[in-house]
Amino acid sequence: MTEFITQRLFQGVVVLFLVSLLTFFLINLAPGGPSSLIDFQSTAAEREARLARYGLDKPVHERYLNWLGGIVRGDLGTSINQGLPVSQLLMQRLGPTLWLGVASLLLAALFGIVLGIIGALWKNRWPDHLVNTIATLGMSIPNFWLGIVAIIVFAVQLGWLPSSGFASIGSGFDLGDRLAHLLLPASVLAFSLMPNVTRVTRAALLEVMTTDYVRTARSKGLQENRILGKHILRNAMVPVTAMLGLITTVLFSGSVVIESVFGFPGIGRLAIEAANGRDYPVILGVTLLAGLIVVVVNIVVDILYAVIDPRIRHD
Amino acid sequence: MNSLRTLHRTFLAGLLAIMLIGTANAQVLNLATNADPTLNPWSPGAVIESNLINTILFDQLTRYSPEDLTPIPALATAWEASEDGLAWTFELREGVQWSDGEPFDAEDVAFTFNDIVLNESLGAQSASQFDPIDSVEIVDDLTVRFVLNTPFSALPYYLASYAGIMPEHVLGDAPDPLTVASFNKSRPVSTGPFKVAEFVTGSHLRLEPNPLYWGGEPQLDGLIFRVIPDPNTQVAQAMAGQLDVVTRLSPQNVAGIEGGGRLEVLRQSQNLFYFIAPNHGDARFEDPQLKQAMLMAIDRQAMIDALLQGFGEVATGPVAPMLGALYNPDVQTYPYDPEAAAALLDELGWTMGSDGVRQKDGERLSFYMPTGQFGELVPATLLVQQYWEDVGIEADVQVMEWNAYIQDVVVGNNYEVTLAWWSMPPTADVDPYFSCAATESGGNNIPKYCNPELDAIMAEGRRAITLEDQIDIYARMQELLAVELPYLYLWYPDILTAKNVNLQGFPEITAATAFQHAVEWHIAE
Repeated sequence: MTEFITQRLFQGVVVLFLVSLLTFFLINLAPGGPSSLIDFQSTAAEREARLARYGLDKPVHERYLNWLGGIVRGDLGTSINQGLPVSQLLMQRLGPTLWLGVASLLLAALFGIVLGIIGALWKNRWPDHLVNTIATLGMSIPNFWLGIVAIIVFAVQLGWLPSSGFASIGSGFDLGDRLAHLLLPASVLAFSLMPNVTRVTRAALLEVMTTDYVRTARSKGLQENRILGKHILRNAMVPVTAMLGLITTVLFSGSVVIESVFGFPGIGRLAIEAANGRDYPVILGVTLLAGLIVVVVNIVVDILYAVIDPRIRHD
Repeated sequence: MNSLRTLHRTFLAGLLAIMLIGTANAQVLNLATNADPTLNPWSPGAVIESNLINTILFDQLTRYSPEDLTPIPALATAWEASEDGLAWTFELREGVQWSDGEPFDAEDVAFTFNDIVLNESLGAQSASQFDPIDSVEIVDDLTVRFVLNTPFSALPYYLASYAGIMPEHVLGDAPDPLTVASFNKSRPVSTGPFKVAEFVTGSHLRLEPNPLYWGGEPQLDGLIFRVIPDPNTQVAQAMAGQLDVVTRLSPQNVAGIEGGGRLEVLRQSQNLFYFIAPNHGDARFEDPQLKQAMLMAIDRQAMIDALLQGFGEVATGPVAPMLGALYNPDVQTYPYDPEAAAALLDELGWTMGSDGVRQKDGERLSFYMPTGQFGELVPATLLVQQYWEDVGIEADVQVMEWNAYIQDVVVGNNYEVTLAWWSMPPTADVDPYFSCAATESGGNNIPKYCNPELDAIMAEGRRAITLEDQIDIYARMQELLAVELPYLYLWYPDILTAKNVNLQGFPEITAATAFQHAVEWHIAE
């Protein structure tokens, strides 16, 4: 197991290196430059002075080596548009994103699995059709649209929940206030992630339900509840875990949109701002962080497989 | 003993009452900005998301009069130009303190210009507008002299346009005064009526009254700028009652905002014109008549109605009507007339070809017209393409990502015609966009139009100190520009600002002016 984890970590470092290399050259090949340096009303002379000041007049490979040298020393560089260290920006924005991500993931997992079970148990009857409809809606409604509608209904019309932000301004830490700000964005994000969980849960359950050992358990006269809990659910959880692992990585792209709509000060919005503003060091920092999370989540999922299904051994 | 207790009780009750009244009357205004601001007006990172905030924080030498936009005293109390127009002396306000308690003096003004604006290696925001300045000399503690290399009568106007004075005692030792994060992104030292109380990146910036402000106590207890990138979310929040001011409102949202009753929409102006730039590197543009025909072929009023919901006015030149006496309405105009445009093109020898595109001596009347994805630029370009097609002019439109557009089209000058805008301080001095010198690679004369006659008039305008002289000179300049058409003038858009109907003391004339007078903002009961 230790050897497996070490090996996967090493592979992860290689992946991150390749990601950084690819990102660096792609964003530098993209036309345009950092928006603060090439603002429309600025003159060409002003722009040239700024490019030189940020070292952007040097060839791309030289800039990459400089950046890589910084990474090795633990320095992610400084944001061109914001003037702050990238590590500081990432730290500031990581909290809200994790808060939103974990909440969405829990909601998606909870509702997704419950709906999946309902669908499987009442296969091809009306509860299954209802679940199917909900999943199709979640799949097909774009979450930015759902977000704006949710703001209009729950914040503007009904006035129940705040329309944007991470917390009320000027008040200290207040869990209720944080949760009120979290509810809309997390629900919207969870709603778009949930269908994947529902479908995988339903399919896995149906598959397991027809296996020999379930039939054997039934013929032994085991109670239906025990069969479901001990035999069916546990065995169906392997593909569901894999799906949750996949979703964790998708969470990032979903939160990019949701954070912008709800004014949530997280990594996703930082990524958008950085990409729009061609803030090279920030784009790289966000990409590396996202890559790191994907690598770690994948390793964790692999380990979880072994925990859930003792037949899987990583040695 | 008893009386002491009563006294105690009365005192406590009084204290409680004061606290309650204090909270009840705490008037905090909620505003929005579309990204994290950079609290340094000269930093290249400070653009639309920061400009108005910096206007509140950092006083300038002058500011605009809410009545007619003439420069009025701010950190400077009086100014005077020398006989030859090559030196301007500014008397500075006495007793002004920075928000950290240090006194403000001539050192700060000299530092701001000599070490920031005029330091070419920094590439400070809008530095090129101050090209006529050679240096700023300290005459005494409260007097400075601007030494110019060419007369520049509009100097007091330009000094009121996002030209905040920075603290020498804080930034003077920084290797790069434009990128001090503890200043730009946290707690800047400033002189304005409000100062920074709290800056949470990605969330909000909270300002509180500056007790050391020279111009009296602000009437509001605070301002909160929420960072809301999405303009639709800004509108939704305003309608939900969570925002009191929304700047740069999209015309599409006006009806919804006004329907709510809590907010009103101000049609503010700005010295800003949209244009189609013909690239004069193209020999076809040597004769202004071709440009005149191209302008006549466009129904600008219809474009304003379609794109801006009517919130704009057809442009007659680079000087907007908001400039009052300096605006000359009696110039040659080009009302929409496709038949006259076609006739003029025929007369110029551009005859209709079999493919529906005119040609002359085998050359087609076709133009490469790149456009950038920003605001209304793409739909506007496509409308122009259709109008031109009607009279046999082909526009080869290419849509580009905004940053790429700036680099390739604006900096690289790779276009034949292109649609964009210029935003300028409220003065008729448009030199940076029209002079021959500005056609050089460092300048903003992107159509590369160079006319010594125009240069002479503009130089005369920069020498003219009195308004009467300026009116006469700039009227002639506008006449010439209307005939020559260095740019095809499209429209002056209204700058739409939604504000709480109860917010008073908010000058309506321009957004910049409104924010320069934030000390007077108050909420009517």
